[in-house]
Amino acid sequence: MPQTDALQQPIELDLFEGPFDLLLTLVLRDEVELLDVPLMEVVTSALGENARERWDTDTAGELIVLLAAMAELKARRLLGEPAEEEPDPDTLEAREALAQRLVAYAPFQRAAGWLAERLRDSAGPRYRRVALDGAPPPPPPREDPAQLRAAMLPLLAAPPAPSLAHLTSRRVSLQAALARLQSALATARSVSFDAIAEGLDPLEEAIALMAALELVRRGEVTLRQAEPFGDIAITGARR
Amino acid sequence: MTELARQVEALLFLSPEPLPVETLCEVTDESPGAVQRALAELSERHGPETGLEVAEIAGGVTIRTRADLAAVCDRLRERPTDDRVSPAALETLAVVAYLEPVSRPQISRLRGVSVDSTVVSLVDRGLLEEAGRPADGGAMRYRTTRLFQERFGLRGAGDLPPLEGFELSGPEAERVRQQLMDAGHLPEGGETDDA
Repeated sequence: MPQTDALQQPIELDLFEGPFDLLLTLVLRDEVELLDVPLMEVVTSALGENARERWDTDTAGELIVLLAAMAELKARRLLGEPAEEEPDPDTLEAREALAQRLVAYAPFQRAAGWLAERLRDSAGPRYRRVALDGAPPPPPPREDPAQLRAAMLPLLAAPPAPSLAHLTSRRVSLQAALARLQSALATARSVSFDAIAEGLDPLEEAIALMAALELVRRGEVTLRQAEPFGDIAITGARR
Repeated sequence: MTELARQVEALLFLSPEPLPVETLCEVTDESPGAVQRALAELSERHGPETGLEVAEIAGGVTIRTRADLAAVCDRLRERPTDDRVSPAALETLAVVAYLEPVSRPQISRLRGVSVDSTVVSLVDRGLLEEAGRPADGGAMRYRTTRLFQERFGLRGAGDLPPLEGFELSGPEAERVRQQLMDAGHLPEGGETDDA
């Protein structure tokens, strides 16, 4: 919703605050003649002080129907409606809805009048409204001090040292893996990686593979893998 | 003047807002009956011949200046606060006071006009305040404030005449309906005798 600034303050109708106020006064008293009501001003007042103000769709839609009923009423009043001819049901329904809304609105119009009187009657007295310095007093001590102590104690106790059990520092030696591979190759010309890695956990297996790759780099072995993810044959280089 | 009446007088003088009797009981550590008696004593003491009066307003008791001294009181300020409330604002306040908490669309629907800027200005003036959104996340709802009660001389929230008393009587409501139904007829045909 856009902020209204001082320059866009409502230009209020002198007499009426909204279409319902206007129409209700109109039909309850005979002082005001429907023909004399400036419809444009009613619409303007209904749209609100600031036409850019957002209406929610439901309220706006409903109000449009009611305003249309008012416009229709006025048009009929100007042109006349043959008495014997029944107006169409939609028109009657709209007028009925308008009547119901006026009846629902009426108590608040009168309550506003009552409030205006109260405001006039209560205008005189002046109040001393100086804030007191300082913080307000604490609430009366209804708590049992022992309970407070019991609640405080767990907060004061030193927390247990966190467990590091899950943080093992494992050491897997590449040297040991190299030695193991070299000793296996000392007795056989070719060994299977699967056989070497048998029973090893993933980390040890990875180190065993690194050991094999290290031997390839040194030119001591060649690797051959028949298919992806298959076994790797580690063959000692011919001497 | 009893000691308790003196204490209550001092508290009412100091407090920035009307003090509920319960608060007076708590602070003085006295029974409600004793505090009520002290208040009665105090009211008698601040009679019409004095400048102050003890008043029950906005959910508590307060000491305020007497109404007939408004003019001289306002001379203390260069520009006294503007207490005027427009008819549109009065009507909006009436809807909120009776139906609170109530949202802007609900007020608009009842009044048949957009109330957004009226509500914003009433919130700015401290006569309305936000009352939260409904659990299902609808529009913000509003209620009247303690300042509203004070300004309109109400003893507390809901210190209003029953809304039923303001409703149209059966014949009046029927007249509204009939007037609208018949409004299309030419003047000479109906009861309206205008030209």
